[in-house]
Amino acid sequence: MYGTKDRDMKRRRSGWLAASLTGAMLLALVSCGSGGENKNLFSSQEDSSRVVDLFSPMEKADPKAENVARTAADLTVAMAEEALGVTVVYRTYTAADHQDKTYDEVCLDRARNDMDDLYLLNPDTIMTLGAEGKLMDLSGLDSAKDLREVVRTANTVDGKLVAIPQEVVAYGLFLNQTMFDRYELALPETPEEFLECCRVFQENGIDTPIGANRWWLETFVFAQAYAELYNSGDTEAKIAALNSGEARYSDYMRPGFEFLQTLIDRGYIDAEKALVSEAIEGEREDFLAQRTPIVMAYWGAANTETAYGKTDLELQVIGFPSILGQMPVISMSGWAVGAESAHREDAMKVIDIIASDEALRIYAETNRVISPSQNVKVDCVPALQPLKDRIEDGVYVLGSNAGMKVEQWGNTCLIVRDLLGGATVDECMAAFDALQDESLGLA
Amino acid sequence: MKQRSNRRKDRSGRALLLSIVLIFCVLGAIVYTVARKASQEMSSSAIQNLSESLDLLQCTIEAILNNEAEFQGVIAQELARTEDPEGYILTHAGNQMMTKLSLVLTGRTEGVSNTGEPFTAEGLDFSAGGTVKGMPVSRSYLNHMGTWAYTIKCPVEREGQEIGTLYVEYIYDAIDRSLPQEGFYNKQATLYIMDAESERFVLKPKGMGQRSAGHLDLNDFYRANDIRDLEIRAEVEQCLEEGRNALFYHDIRSTNALNYMWSVNRGTIFLVGYVPVDAIQQEGRTVNQNIIIVVTAMLIAFSLCVLLYYLSWRQQELLRREQEQERRLHDQQLTHALQAAQIASSSKTTFLSNMSHDIRTPMNAVLGFTTLLARDAEDPAKVREYTKKIMASGQHLLSLINDILDVSKIESGKVVLNFEKFALNDVIASVDAIIQPMAKAKGQEFRVEVTGVRHEYLVGDETRIDQILINLLSNAVKYTPEGGKIWLRIVGLKQRSSQYEHIRIEIEDTGYGMTQEFLQTIFDAFTRAENSTTNKVQGTGLGMAITKNIVELMGGTIDVSSEVDQGSLFQVDLELRIQEDQIDRAFWEQRGISRILAVDKDPEVLEDMRALIEETGPHLDTASAVAEAVALIQGGAEHQLVLLDWETAVSDSPQSAGALRAALPSTVPVLLLAEHDAKGTEAALQAGCSGLLTKPFFVSACREKIQELWADTKESSRTPEKNDTLARLHLLAAEDNEINAEILAALLAIEGADCEIVENGLLAVERFQQAGPGTFDAVLLDVQMPVMNGHDAARAIRSLPREEAGRIPIIAMTANAFAEDEKAALDAGMDAHVSKPLDVELLKKVIRRCMERRIGT
Repeated sequence: MYGTKDRDMKRRRSGWLAASLTGAMLLALVSCGSGGENKNLFSSQEDSSRVVDLFSPMEKADPKAENVARTAADLTVAMAEEALGVTVVYRTYTAADHQDKTYDEVCLDRARNDMDDLYLLNPDTIMTLGAEGKLMDLSGLDSAKDLREVVRTANTVDGKLVAIPQEVVAYGLFLNQTMFDRYELALPETPEEFLECCRVFQENGIDTPIGANRWWLETFVFAQAYAELYNSGDTEAKIAALNSGEARYSDYMRPGFEFLQTLIDRGYIDAEKALVSEAIEGEREDFLAQRTPIVMAYWGAANTETAYGKTDLELQVIGFPSILGQMPVISMSGWAVGAESAHREDAMKVIDIIASDEALRIYAETNRVISPSQNVKVDCVPALQPLKDRIEDGVYVLGSNAGMKVEQWGNTCLIVRDLLGGATVDECMAAFDALQDESLGLA
Repeated sequence: MKQRSNRRKDRSGRALLLSIVLIFCVLGAIVYTVARKASQEMSSSAIQNLSESLDLLQCTIEAILNNEAEFQGVIAQELARTEDPEGYILTHAGNQMMTKLSLVLTGRTEGVSNTGEPFTAEGLDFSAGGTVKGMPVSRSYLNHMGTWAYTIKCPVEREGQEIGTLYVEYIYDAIDRSLPQEGFYNKQATLYIMDAESERFVLKPKGMGQRSAGHLDLNDFYRANDIRDLEIRAEVEQCLEEGRNALFYHDIRSTNALNYMWSVNRGTIFLVGYVPVDAIQQEGRTVNQNIIIVVTAMLIAFSLCVLLYYLSWRQQELLRREQEQERRLHDQQLTHALQAAQIASSSKTTFLSNMSHDIRTPMNAVLGFTTLLARDAEDPAKVREYTKKIMASGQHLLSLINDILDVSKIESGKVVLNFEKFALNDVIASVDAIIQPMAKAKGQEFRVEVTGVRHEYLVGDETRIDQILINLLSNAVKYTPEGGKIWLRIVGLKQRSSQYEHIRIEIEDTGYGMTQEFLQTIFDAFTRAENSTTNKVQGTGLGMAITKNIVELMGGTIDVSSEVDQGSLFQVDLELRIQEDQIDRAFWEQRGISRILAVDKDPEVLEDMRALIEETGPHLDTASAVAEAVALIQGGAEHQLVLLDWETAVSDSPQSAGALRAALPSTVPVLLLAEHDAKGTEAALQAGCSGLLTKPFFVSACREKIQELWADTKESSRTPEKNDTLARLHLLAAEDNEINAEILAALLAIEGADCEIVENGLLAVERFQQAGPGTFDAVLLDVQMPVMNGHDAARAIRSLPREEAGRIPIIAMTANAFAEDEKAALDAGMDAHVSKPLDVELLKKVIRRCMERRIGT
């Protein structure tokens, strides 16, 4: 009996030993395998990749990087890279502070010197570069066919569609509903109601009810200036009057500037702080800490966690106060191609893909924003519903309009900064008059 | 010895374990040292590798800067030779390297640029003091093209006199084009160019990056890459100030990386970035992996060897333990065997000593009384007394010899049970007949009780059952003092099978009892309770061993419990097959008995009677009192037999038996059931009771009694006096022993028989052959005889060619008393077997039966 067991055990041990030795031999054989037989050890790989230089304020996420949430724009660019076999090379610029050149200034410099192929441009830059003929006409692209009319209008310069946005950026007032409820304040419709709200807040110890930065205070101005221009009919005629000099921009702008002046004078806005604050960075902390009940921001900020996408307070986004009630201000950053850029053909193809309905759907669903394509509609967070309702009702003003000879978005921003810096409303209006005169060739 | 061996084994096991641990430690230390050395060398190699790469980049950039400066010097010389330097500037177009040329003539604050625009040096900051080939280089700035640039200025001298300053703007994009387009370290290295003065990143990786990668300036780089170590940051600051290189380890996004700040152009700009260590040490990683594989393989191989060794060792250890255990067991068995042998030897010595005593005692009586007999031969009274005592002593000797032979036969496994039909009543009756007188002689009360037995006709070895009961009961009588009590109980247990009666036999006494120690060996042969009281009792000490062996041979069990001076209880459980044919049923039917009335105050007894009687056919009515029985009879119930318990009748009234008799028809017999020593039964018998049955009740006893009462009993009865006599018989006997021959002749002569004795079998055959027909009535043959033994003689007689040879009774007469001896005799053609010493009565019966059988045939 024991003998049989012994024999079995020995047989098993021998099996193990044999298996181990076989494994060791295999390992040795694998490790001693010979390499290739080429004498020239260098294997050349021709770099045949096509490159499109893209200039934007954003870094591109490394596709191989782990745990990095890719932005909506990245996703669409990746689509283009895959479809076209090109590499979109990002060149970026971020101003360190307000003393640095702005992104827009750098954009202008780079586009004028044909430094890049593809640019993400703000409305004023689009207007400027379009007027200078530095941007390609994109109207022939397939992706341009389904654009909303407002988008087409805002980006057409001298009959050329010079930029296509990936989202329609709607600016609004971001309000702390809890604080409004606490002081039994209705959401303001008109400038007067807005001032009353600010007064009540201030009386209740909130010294500066409005958080502001050096970029977006102009939205108050646009809402009051162009509420009637865009929403009471004869818009084209009114714009034509402005372009011909029959009507003065300063007349449209004055109520808005006076309103801003009032806000500054009453201390509802800290002008000094606003003048050196970057967008969101300057006011976000106070708003989230419920020290400031009112800030202004764009639609996407309500979805972005680094902005106001995740707050402990009850957020509500409404239009800016105007004579016609809450008024969303629409602006569009768009993709444009340098007219003399080195890889403009590939850049055009890239835009055609990133502005396609498929890409725009991805973009809109990722960021939950209003798409420039009339074929793409997505839901929004509840806080944005009042703003969305107004836009869907067709009630809004454009922050930039390529049909106006005087660029609006950039100029107004700069003149508002003058106001923040201490200029009077009259001086600001004079600046508008000067710009209009210059556009008319009277300067 | 064993402890020392165990300690040695423990020490050896510990030494082995320590050796293995030591080998592992040494191996681990070697691997650790090699790995550590490899790691250090790889780290040094990585640092050297990266330093060389960065040196290469540094040299490249410095070469570009130097070229730019040299080129600028050439332009300045050209300008110095030109009559209209500003015009020369205007005619000079910019290129990819030099984006802007400007000249400010000495004494002016504004100059011209090649773009045609006026130029002032106000926006340029040369305060940092950086130079290229002695020419001041400005702080980096974002130029009119929206890209980072720097300006180098150099004086324009004509004939040793400075006529102006040449400012040339260079863009970092030109340097970027000179750097490896695919990056370095397989695109895994991150490379920024930082302006030392402003700490701004003026050139950064394009086409790839990490979100929030910290591409703005040094602080942004620290923030994004989580470089918080103040020591490192201070060291870096120091290097920046002094224009030295810095290289340090810091994890970037959980990846071990080498971070660098590499000074270019004596610290005016720095190469900043990081490289994952793995990217530099790719081959090192492979080497490490291979080392790990080799070490793992070695460890596995070593562990395998250790495991195999351990398994082998364990197997050997197991084997050794088993062998040791086996040896120990063997030793134990040997010890036990030795002890058993010693005990057996001791027992047998004791036994022999006892036997010597026990045999010599009656032998002494035999011889002593024989001497006395010779002396007092003339006194018939003394002769009868002496012969009686000699007979008693002889009987005792015979029982001793029988027991000895019996136990030796059982021990050798030669006992064969003889299964025959028997009635339980016969067993009890025969035992009672033997024990009752013995008990009575010692003034003891002996009672027999039967309860719960459903079947009394059983199959089994009646003789052996008798032997069991007699052994146990005779012991009880022996070991119970005078006046004690002894019970024999037969208890019917629950049947395990319908074919077997399960009975328990209990023998209880109020005797001396036994110690617990003795109870352990009571069933061993050659043991006998020894104390001052019992050592007066004669016995072989074999009775219990014989009893136990017989019980077990029958498939039963025997248990004993006892307390000293309290008594003992033996319990024997047996299963005996029930007889299939019910002879009683026909008996009752023949006599027209279908209904019996039993009167007993004990309901249990009645129930037992019902079970026994109804099992054989008749219906039993019961009454607990005589009056109740009378009422039943007067009520019209017809019974053909009445069984009346004497105690019940006496407890009712002394005349109750008569009353019952009077109530019954005269043809119906009334049988009294009474203990064997019941008193007053004669009166009842005179009052009309038909007969007396000794309790306990058995159908077979009842049947016998009825047979006696009825005339048919006379048919089978014989007059033994006539049949048992051997008068006028002429017998031929063969006996080689003269004394035995003489005794035989004398005994037969006493019985009136004439016996002719020859010395051996052959003579017997010859004598029978010679004798005329009818000369002999029977032949008695000893078995062991010289010349021809009894068996051969019987065969020879049977084979003789004469009519008488086949039928003359031949009876074996031998000291070989076993069953197989009897069988051998019958096989040889003999008719019967009588064992020696001769029992004359038995011999008479056997001779007569054989003769009758021969006559019958």
